[in-house]
Amino acid sequence: MNTALARLNTIFAFTLSVMAGLTFLCFLSTFFNEHKADVSINTAKVIVKNVPDYSAGREKNDLGFIKLNQVVVWDKIIRRGENSILDYRKANTKYYFWDFGNGLRGNKNVTLSLSWNVIPNAGTLPKIMGTGQHKIEFPAEYSPNRFQ
Amino acid sequence: MDIAKYLPECIKKIPTHMDFAGQQKAERMFQTIILSFATVGLVWGYICQQFSQTMYILITGFVISCLLTLPPWPMFRKTSLKWQKARPEPEEVGSTTAPVQKSKKKKN
Repeated sequence: MNTALARLNTIFAFTLSVMAGLTFLCFLSTFFNEHKADVSINTAKVIVKNVPDYSAGREKNDLGFIKLNQVVVWDKIIRRGENSILDYRKANTKYYFWDFGNGLRGNKNVTLSLSWNVIPNAGTLPKIMGTGQHKIEFPAEYSPNRFQ
Repeated sequence: MDIAKYLPECIKKIPTHMDFAGQQKAERMFQTIILSFATVGLVWGYICQQFSQTMYILITGFVISCLLTLPPWPMFRKTSLKWQKARPEPEEVGSTTAPVQKSKKKKN
């Protein structure tokens, strides 16, 4: 503490300790938060089309499957301070269902649900599944219209 | 290399030290400043739910305490030590180093 450098060292170390304490308090203030929310999903018109896939070459390719029968069809990032009450009407699918065969047509067991993470400044990363689901069925016939 | 002797007299006169009471005062001062800024920042950050605000307020406290306690301001030099009077120089100038003592261990 007798030289300016020694004082700078002490002040800096003390500030870092206080910063660590503040971060822990921030973690404590978010640890007991209840993140559950109600979700209501509806679908209007469900169509399925049979389209060619030009994304791969003409040669035969390998295709791997895992038996996790779950895909992400929509997502959104909400930053702190932005409106977190989502009210969408007439929204389209963001990422389409895609089956590398013909498994979508006539599929009667498709469930839409909404899950989310809350990314913290400090602490745990909660994974929450909203209460509320919506079950849809894909039609048994392919949609003939290209632009529908 | 000692650059002190090349400095002009007006720069050498600037006091750079802090006395013991001043050091204690400086430490108490920056601890108080940083802790109070941290408390205010935590409350404000909790109110507006932005942890970054807490960090900004804490860094403000860090800068303020640096400005207040890093330079040896005159308020940290109020209680100077009372030294005894210098003894008169002895006439015989002896060697300043202590005489080398013989090691007590004997080699076998």
